[in-house]
Amino acid sequence: MLNTTNKKMAVVLLVISIIYLIVSFRLPSYAYVPVDSDMVPIALGVLLFFLSIALYFIKDEKSEEKVKLPKEDLLAILIVIGFIVTYIFLLEIIGFILITALFIFFCSWFLGFKKFITNLIVSIVLPFAIYYMFIALQIQLPQGILPF
Amino acid sequence: MKKIAAILSLAFVMVISAACSGNTTTSDKAKTNGEWKPEKAIEITAPSGAGGGWDTTARMAAKVLNETKIINQSIGVVNKPGGGGAVGWAYIHSKKADPQRLFVTSPPMLLVPLNGQSQYDYEDFTPIANIIADYAAFAVKADAKWNNLNELFADMKKDPSSITIVGASSPGSMDHIQFVKIAKAAGVDITKLKYVSDQDGGGLTQILNGSADVYSTGVAETVEQVKAGKIKVLGVTSEERLKGDVLSDFPTAKEQGIDATFVNWRGFFGPPDMDKNALAYYEKKLKELSDSAEWAEIRQKYGWDEMYMDSAEYKDFLKKENNEIKTLLEELGLAK
Amino acid sequence: MDVFHGLLTGFEVAFSLNGLLFVLIGVTVGTIIGMIPGLGPITAIAVMIPITYGMDPAIALLLMAGVYYGAAYGGASSSILLNAPGTSEAVATTFDGYPMAKQGKAGKAMATAAIASFVGGTISIIFLTFLAPTLSKVAVSFGPPEYFALMLLGLTALSSLSEGSTIKALISATIGFMIATVGIDSQTGTARFTFGSAHLLEGIDFLVLALGLFALAEVTSLIIFRKEKIAESSKIGSLKLTKQDYKDIIPTMGRQSVLGFLIGVLPGAGGTIASFLAYVSEKKLSKNPNAFGKGEIRGIAAPEAANNAASGGAFVPLLSLGIPGSGTTAVMLGALMVLGIQPGPLLMADHPDVFWGVIASMYIGNILLLVLNLPLIPYISKILRVPRPLLTSLVIVFCFIGVYGISFSTFDLFLLLGFGVLGYVMRLVHFPASPLLLAFILGGMMEQSFRQALTISNGSLSIFFTNPIACILIIISLASFLVPILKTVRKKTKVEQTMDM
Repeated sequence: MLNTTNKKMAVVLLVISIIYLIVSFRLPSYAYVPVDSDMVPIALGVLLFFLSIALYFIKDEKSEEKVKLPKEDLLAILIVIGFIVTYIFLLEIIGFILITALFIFFCSWFLGFKKFITNLIVSIVLPFAIYYMFIALQIQLPQGILPF
Repeated sequence: MKKIAAILSLAFVMVISAACSGNTTTSDKAKTNGEWKPEKAIEITAPSGAGGGWDTTARMAAKVLNETKIINQSIGVVNKPGGGGAVGWAYIHSKKADPQRLFVTSPPMLLVPLNGQSQYDYEDFTPIANIIADYAAFAVKADAKWNNLNELFADMKKDPSSITIVGASSPGSMDHIQFVKIAKAAGVDITKLKYVSDQDGGGLTQILNGSADVYSTGVAETVEQVKAGKIKVLGVTSEERLKGDVLSDFPTAKEQGIDATFVNWRGFFGPPDMDKNALAYYEKKLKELSDSAEWAEIRQKYGWDEMYMDSAEYKDFLKKENNEIKTLLEELGLAK
Repeated sequence: MDVFHGLLTGFEVAFSLNGLLFVLIGVTVGTIIGMIPGLGPITAIAVMIPITYGMDPAIALLLMAGVYYGAAYGGASSSILLNAPGTSEAVATTFDGYPMAKQGKAGKAMATAAIASFVGGTISIIFLTFLAPTLSKVAVSFGPPEYFALMLLGLTALSSLSEGSTIKALISATIGFMIATVGIDSQTGTARFTFGSAHLLEGIDFLVLALGLFALAEVTSLIIFRKEKIAESSKIGSLKLTKQDYKDIIPTMGRQSVLGFLIGVLPGAGGTIASFLAYVSEKKLSKNPNAFGKGEIRGIAAPEAANNAASGGAFVPLLSLGIPGSGTTAVMLGALMVLGIQPGPLLMADHPDVFWGVIASMYIGNILLLVLNLPLIPYISKILRVPRPLLTSLVIVFCFIGVYGISFSTFDLFLLLGFGVLGYVMRLVHFPASPLLLAFILGGMMEQSFRQALTISNGSLSIFFTNPIACILIIISLASFLVPILKTVRKKTKVEQTMDM
């Protein structure tokens, strides 16, 4: 039944449209306007509901192909996402310069960048340059634990 | 080998820096008795993006405080936009009792929490001093049939659905509430007002092309349009007439027999439970700022009014304002 | 003061040694700011205000104006080279700019962007010079019903972005519109789909969405091809445009500059909407619409000409009426106030030197920008020579700064990551991303103006039909929506093609 990507997507979208509709119907009402804030969302939810049903039944050769992705690549992507999440968590704690330097260094290294000296120089110089460029424009990026 | 060296050097940098920052924080906290002075750079947060009213006030104040040497420590401005201020307030609140962090605020500090959009309200912070005030103006197209607020409100009482009021912000926020406050004092049924919100200069456009009838805005936005004969101001919300070229021609709501005012106050707040000595320090410095000739010039350029209040006065003022706004929002059914 | 006399005075101010110097500083700083993610024209001007305080107003304005259009210029390079737009105005430039760079024609793409920006900028300044007072009437002629009709017309252009499966394009667009409904609803103050988070109250920033859907999603393919040594895309290629190229882009730049300018004149519309409408209308007009999205030179010329023309157009309501039509011009208004100039309907009469000085500086600034930017292209394009793994991490950092510089919140960084994942999934399952963006930028404004109009008319739909401009625009929209459908019904056997974006 869910043998094609389209059919799977259709089910996911149907669920999204239903959730969106439930939230839309629960929006508090406001008495002083002729068209309340829930009108457009309800219309959009209903539209998506029917479009996802339509998607279930259409034939579209291109998407009939199975989506292929080597396990190795998927793993690499997931690890980079891991790096990104770490970056976001630590940005305001240890500061822009430090986390950006670490991110550039380790992410490039992980993806196969072999020139360590170049990598080290880029990952130290670039965050400093950007940080002080922002400072010059009176915009403060997270300073973190560095004393400057 | 190189790899290890690189990682080691980075780790080294990290340790050193961690150690350094540890030092600064301890030396900071050591001085809490008697005179207080900022030990490191002061950070003023504007809970909005670059270019807005809060941001302008923060940047200009930072500039004057530094250039006139009122405060010698460098002052940086940090933008924390989002949620009409709520994101910035949550950020300050997370930096409990750090006396190097101030923020600029104004009536949304009361309105946003009352609308249920911020978990922190003005009582969660330390009001330091108010420095400037601005007032609301209600304008109509130059050839509109109304010449004063009473004529407008009389028509509104007769047929509220025929008159559209436009402002930049959504219902329950400043442009709406400032009009509601005056209209209520004039005896208009505020639950029947027809209010439309339009950003990016849309309000003035709507008045000029006749889509909407009344523009609820700040006094400064109307001056040039009045000079050019495009619009007329039916009333402003200050206690007395304002001083200045065109400004002194604007009648106040009060002199038209409507007993209500609205102040768009703007001042500096600090984090919760601010150190008493630090509070006294900033109060004094902001008073110096408010009295300086440089600041007077900036006030004049932006069309701001002087309104200094020290911390104690400020607190009483905020309490009174908050209660009044709360009553209005409750009547409209908007209070959360 | 007539136009020529005025311009002459303006050039006198701008052509002084000081004047030229500050325009040059302005455009240089502006270009750099435009290239740095997270810093757009708004921030550029806002941070210039305290710096210029106390300077001679005429000179300060030259500096500020230089920064303003310099920043507007600089945004295109990262769109073309990295698929990572630095400003929201430059998002539409990624559609064909990045594919061109991937084909090893980055030099040509960048040169086209620079030339189109120059043409768009120059045409808009000529209009501004001669027609500002006349056009100020256009600026205030649009009320809520007209805006609704205009946005509706823009949305019908969706059909041109929806080769391949129409249903998929419509689903993308619906989702884009849904994302636009997040945040406080202006007409009622109701918080919609914020799930109690203060970070979502002001809605989702367009740049966060675009950087996620395009740049971060592209990072995944950089990761997959990380081991390829020297790819086609590391070639920069010649900067030179052929005669045929010029033949292609000259009419495009001409008409899209006019369109962009007119949209810029309307308060609230602005450069982003202008660049999108220019792109889709150019595609609709083209004899070979399938080439768009695959590195079509006109697909760069159209949005770049339009967004620069729009930034000139935005000066019409600002300088002739004192109405700031966008966030950027609102900051510009603040800057003028600090300099002791109150923009309003009397500006031209009271401060002719300021008005004409700004206009003259725009002519000079535009030429300086072209002269400054063209020789820089080979150097900037060298970023493509950076080895894949390092480039990948740099693009990610670019996105981080681009988002953090706007919101200063890590919440938006998570949002960016989320949109990156969404963009990647959409690629895998062949859902086009451009309809999502188009519906996002038009949808919010369309909903608000629709409901504003109905509040004004006390709920009566007749307001859309008693109003001549709105009525005509709605009829055109319906026609442009129905005609293609009728056509497809007639020739049912049309091979479906997918737009890979």
